[in-house]
Amino acid sequence: MDENKVIICRCEDVTLAEIRNLIKQGFTTVEEIKRLVRSGMGPCQGKTCGLLIAREIAEITNTSIEKIEIQNMRPPYGGVTFEEVIAGDTIEE
Amino acid sequence: MNNIEKAELIVVGGGPAGLSAALAAADYGVNVILVEEREFLGGQLVKQTHRFFGSEKEYAGTRGIDISKFLVEKIKENENIKILTSSRVLGIYNDKIVTILANNKMIKYSPKALILATGASEKFLAFENNDLPGVFGAGAVQTLMNLYGVLPSKKILMVGSGNIGLIVSYQLLQAGVKVACIIEAAPRIGGYSVHASKLARMGVPILTSHTIKKAVGKDKVEGAIICQLDSSWREIKDTEQFIKCDAICLSVGLSPLTDLLKQANVKTSYVPELGGYIPLRDENMETSIKNLFVAGDVSGIEEATSAIIEGQIAGLNVAKRIKKDIDNQVKIEKKIAEAKDELELLRAGPVGEKVRNGLKKIGLDPLKNYGEKVSTEEFDISFLMKTGIPSKENLKKKLPLSEDVFNKGPIAISECFQQFPCDPCVKSCPFDAISENGSINNIPYVNFEKCTGCGICVSKCPGLAMFVVQKNYTDSTSLVTLPYEFLPKPVKNQIVLVLNREGTEICEGTVKRVRDGKIQDKTTVVTIEIPKEYFLEARNIKVDGGQKHG
Repeated sequence: MDENKVIICRCEDVTLAEIRNLIKQGFTTVEEIKRLVRSGMGPCQGKTCGLLIAREIAEITNTSIEKIEIQNMRPPYGGVTFEEVIAGDTIEE
Repeated sequence: MNNIEKAELIVVGGGPAGLSAALAAADYGVNVILVEEREFLGGQLVKQTHRFFGSEKEYAGTRGIDISKFLVEKIKENENIKILTSSRVLGIYNDKIVTILANNKMIKYSPKALILATGASEKFLAFENNDLPGVFGAGAVQTLMNLYGVLPSKKILMVGSGNIGLIVSYQLLQAGVKVACIIEAAPRIGGYSVHASKLARMGVPILTSHTIKKAVGKDKVEGAIICQLDSSWREIKDTEQFIKCDAICLSVGLSPLTDLLKQANVKTSYVPELGGYIPLRDENMETSIKNLFVAGDVSGIEEATSAIIEGQIAGLNVAKRIKKDIDNQVKIEKKIAEAKDELELLRAGPVGEKVRNGLKKIGLDPLKNYGEKVSTEEFDISFLMKTGIPSKENLKKKLPLSEDVFNKGPIAISECFQQFPCDPCVKSCPFDAISENGSINNIPYVNFEKCTGCGICVSKCPGLAMFVVQKNYTDSTSLVTLPYEFLPKPVKNQIVLVLNREGTEICEGTVKRVRDGKIQDKTTVVTIEIPKEYFLEARNIKVDGGQKHG
């Protein structure tokens, strides 16, 4: 299998080769990998790649997948403009 | 703080779980805000053109899209429910403030309770060239076809044989797309056997223990290379096979959409049986955070029927907390108990085992009352679950013991061999001739003494597994009545090609009767006259000018 042709994060175009390389270098959390190659930072916020990366980490580090945390989630869920935030503040009672 | 709106209950997600949760709470006077990201309510139900399984109480036998219409109508009539469509919940904060983006405004709410019914997203698969245009998720294929009327491809490879993979394959055939084959990595078909049998009758090969190695094509999918897997899921050498297709549809499972739950720091756990990372919750659907409930696929992947019941349980529990007068408390308590009972029964059969194991992992007892009633498969269906084709032994179990029974006239044959919760055949029979022996999880049997061969059940069975045969129509011919859901519909006296359970053409037949009224609800019931020797073989037809099968 050509790992360079297997896409793990579709949003940010991250390949299996990149992910495996990082894990082998010692980056063994989904969160660290996300910060290094932006996997999970695109529009879908890791819904596609999160589990796949967790599985790779589990396999390479020989850990059970139950022990691997997926990436953190913070508000807002999806984009929001300042205009929209301000508009909400002037709501009538 | 003066621009924070107070609310009683916010339900996030307008799919089956969210709709039923909102209704259950609003029926007891709770003021509900129902938030849906898309411009319409109904969630995945709006794409489901097939009849649902399960109990009649939860709309079994009704098409998903019609269940959605019914629930949405009730929601719209309910004065206690405020609907926010095209609106997104942006955040849930530690102080339980919820921000919602609606009409280009970010509004802050402080609700007494929250029910998250956000559903699930599709899992993706790692294989070579998996980003080639033409690689779809099954949800996207359904959206294109059933929502927008756009054909996704001409010939497709389906990866995954769970109920979604099987149902979408069937819908693709209905839309006129060829299904090259369905591949499944496991040694056994994942979905219900009746769905697989529908495809087998159309001549679609189902290859278990097979996976996709790579997508092939320059600028778009032109084919795929698949290979066989051994019992430990490793590739068997020299089993590579090229499948020509212009699209690849992935249907390899769902995982709960827990983003908002994670924001709120709800405790989660990895439970593969339930789709991945799921929130910990109690039997009332309440998470580790007080007054934050979950319902439906976000709490663990299951069917729409269980999502509807879970929604009821969550909604009723919120009502119980908010509406404190004694009268209501008793009524609500009773309804909660009923819903839990119903849910437990749905999970009590062999197909519920995976879900039961998953629930045990998060400390729940999925079989409090039905522990002793758990049924195991009545007979060996391993061949059926590999191919979609029932074995001779399987068939024998469902046919009359004596050939003489066929001499009395037309009788219904139930070709349902797997135990899963479903009862429309039983409920539809006007002569009380079909029985499941007291449990919805049992296999239905026809009482040939009582059966008149009326054919009502033929269009009612969601699995298209009911047929009527009349062996002695003439000295040399028999009549077979079967369900047919393709266009064009056959007409009386038309000559059609007749297929067997494997989708092989066996003979020609003459259409004697076409029933296509309101009762049949688009599942046309066709009676064909065929040479007598084939009366136990003829199970499908090919109508001239219709879609090419397979």
